[in-house]
Amino acid sequence: MNTSRMLGLVMIAPAAIMILLFFLMPVVLTGVFSMTNMTTATGISGGAYQIAPHSLNDLKSTMPDIAEQMAQPRYAIDEAGMKAVEGLGLDAGIATELRAKHIGDVFQTRREAERMIKGLDQRPSTPDVKKISEQFNRSVVNSRFSSKEELFSALDTLGFKLTDAQKDSVADVTYTGWNWTTENFSRIASSPDMARVLFNTLLYVALVLVLFNTAYAMLLMIWTHYMPSAPATIFRSIWLLPRITPVVIYVLMWKWLAWDTGFISVLMGKFGYPPKNYMLDNAYNAWVFVVLINGFIGASMGMLVFSSALKAIPKSQFFASEVDGASRWQQIRYIILPQMRWPILFVTCYQTLSLLASFNEILLSTRGGPGKATEVWSLAAYHTALNNYAGNLEYGLGAAMALVLVVIGIVLSLGYLRIFNYGTLVSRPLIED
Amino acid sequence: MNILPTLKCMTVAAAILASTSVLAFAKDITISVWSGGTGPNDTYRLDAIEIAAQQLEREAAIRGEDLKIKVEKTPYSDWESFKQALTLAAEAKKAPNIVATGHEDIGPWSQAGLIVPIEDYVDLDSWPLNDIYENLMEIASFNGVVYGIPQDAESRPMFFWKPHMKAIGYSDADLDALPQKVQDGAYSMANVLEDAKKMQDKGLVQPGYGFYPRTSNGPDYWQFYTSFGGTMEEDGKLVFDKAAMTRAYQFFADAVKDGVTKKNHIGMPGDQWWKEVATGKAGIWHGGTWHYARLVNQEGLTDFFGNVVFSLMPAGEGGKANTLTHPLVYLLTAGHEKEDMAIAAQLIKIASEPRINVLHAVKSAHLGISKAESEIDLYSSDRWAREATERLLPYANAMPNNADFGTYWTIMWKGLEASWTGAKTVEASIGDVETELKSTLGDKIIIR
Repeated sequence: MNTSRMLGLVMIAPAAIMILLFFLMPVVLTGVFSMTNMTTATGISGGAYQIAPHSLNDLKSTMPDIAEQMAQPRYAIDEAGMKAVEGLGLDAGIATELRAKHIGDVFQTRREAERMIKGLDQRPSTPDVKKISEQFNRSVVNSRFSSKEELFSALDTLGFKLTDAQKDSVADVTYTGWNWTTENFSRIASSPDMARVLFNTLLYVALVLVLFNTAYAMLLMIWTHYMPSAPATIFRSIWLLPRITPVVIYVLMWKWLAWDTGFISVLMGKFGYPPKNYMLDNAYNAWVFVVLINGFIGASMGMLVFSSALKAIPKSQFFASEVDGASRWQQIRYIILPQMRWPILFVTCYQTLSLLASFNEILLSTRGGPGKATEVWSLAAYHTALNNYAGNLEYGLGAAMALVLVVIGIVLSLGYLRIFNYGTLVSRPLIED
Repeated sequence: MNILPTLKCMTVAAAILASTSVLAFAKDITISVWSGGTGPNDTYRLDAIEIAAQQLEREAAIRGEDLKIKVEKTPYSDWESFKQALTLAAEAKKAPNIVATGHEDIGPWSQAGLIVPIEDYVDLDSWPLNDIYENLMEIASFNGVVYGIPQDAESRPMFFWKPHMKAIGYSDADLDALPQKVQDGAYSMANVLEDAKKMQDKGLVQPGYGFYPRTSNGPDYWQFYTSFGGTMEEDGKLVFDKAAMTRAYQFFADAVKDGVTKKNHIGMPGDQWWKEVATGKAGIWHGGTWHYARLVNQEGLTDFFGNVVFSLMPAGEGGKANTLTHPLVYLLTAGHEKEDMAIAAQLIKIASEPRINVLHAVKSAHLGISKAESEIDLYSSDRWAREATERLLPYANAMPNNADFGTYWTIMWKGLEASWTGAKTVEASIGDVETELKSTLGDKIIIR
């Protein structure tokens, strides 16, 4: 018994690991990222401590004297530096000349110090010049330390005596990495743009789901049910085309149809209308195209699910109803629809979740435009986390947006289960009791 | 982004493997270089490093060293995937040795430790670095540290289609004087809209084609803010000048209201835009100096100077004529062996030689980076390079290197798009921009 249980665990292990890595981890990481202010600038793998000019500006308000001292960039040719230079293993003449001519000199910038070093009789090579100048660096501005301890010990050696509280605030303002924060969620909650994007998302999901994924799919199912089987098969195959065409090409065909030199413009041109980009002309048009592009893809799935469910309804029910003189409408209303609850629940649930998360068709067609009119939540999350012209990607905020989407998805799914009365759908049939 | 940790483990392992192999054959070095926004005219961004490698190998041979440098070149034709790929690769410690990118990346990338200052490796006082224009070197610096070496320079002019300008009453002499008039502020943004309207009223161009701006977000749009008196940064702090931004937004809203610019212009297919400006379907438009190369080489506008006048961006109310330069810079990425970094730095330095850089400047119609470069025949005999350098470069601003500028930019663009398309009124857009700037950047931006 135990062995077989073990064996079961072993057998399932690869799948379990896969699920852990590719399903669970991303969700957990999204949760983790969403609680941070992570961006390109803060990095992902943690930060360092860098006394940059802007951090000194921050320090000026709390400890003006120390900030002022720290701000001094200095290269001092002192005894400690000379010792270090002697330890570099360079030509001894360099150190001797430095000591003889320049001990006690102070340079404001690295460039000035290096100019002096290059002026030595025994002119060192550029890499050596850099090595030498580094030994005389008595400034912390722009230095990068990988840990607090390194930062404090560097400050200590340079003669900055700081109290613990001061150390903490120095560490705070010089940290370049990310921090834990819930600010992402308050930003999402307070931004009017986010509300607009949320509205767009609900509109998008509702329109595509209701008009195409369920209603139109149902129509397709009924039409093909009452058709002779050969034309029905052809008809179904045609409706599958949008789904099996690669999405890039499929959307490109829509763009060809809609843009200034496209089919619609040419056709309307015959009636004297100037060419225009019909897809992006206004928000209303963009929505029509977005819904059509997604709807034509989505309808086929519902059609297949509903049609196969319809096939499972015993033919005898239809025959019996015909004998009783039922009309087509009565057959649909009293035989087909009542037995479609499961497939409708499945399609609604599945498509809601996939519509919430899908943005590829919108990205390829309108890119969320015109003017963010068709920007949906997942696209906005993508734009925030992975697309910023100036190179600063906002991972934290993007993850928070993704998390919101997950929550919305779960809430909607639970809602559906309630509406469709999931409990009775899965309860044991009374007849078998 | 969620697969990053896994990706990281794998790539760290790969990086360790790679670095050990470099150590084992110290003189056999592979230097990888990536560049963004690199189309067929811009291949010298990468090729220059290869030429530099040959030069460095020869120099090493004379010193008696057997140095073999293999340059791996990866061009990205767009910016989006380039920046995603680079930042993620760098986080995974798998970044290329050298990267050619927009200077505005220096801010966030240096804070994240993705790049190291090039001044740690090269002597800035030595040739050819000491000949590079001072303002370009400044643009390649951040926090007072020189991080990169300018790879090219450019400027973003306003273009006018000559035949249409003549048809609405400009003489040849007027057109020759136009650039100077723009520079002096005598021809303003209001005149742009006026002339665009005239062209449409005369039926020279179709409605919406009078003023035909860039079709997507880009640095160009900061020029309008500058034209209307805006400042991007002051003493290291970002600045949002409400009045100037209102005037800039209003300019586009007016252009749409007058019908000289299409409401749905943003997001239209780029190829179509190029075709149209190259064939006189548009009256006035703006772009970059490198547009010359594409218009002439790819779009078939062989008689450029016969058809097009170019000038600075005209002044608007409260501002002055200006242009923006958006130099690309060569940067050294962190996480490589010191020896490789030193070689990479040397390659960047050699690639900045006027003779090598001029190949890129002229082929791609960018501007030169140094004084000596402008004296090379290839450059000085190129009418475009010469005129654009003289007319534009002295008046060029640049976007600030500031880690938060990207956030500001995104918000500013969102507002512009909303007022342009009429999704919001200009006042509402400005209000929303202000609210969002306050909530996201707080005291890192001065709002006035």
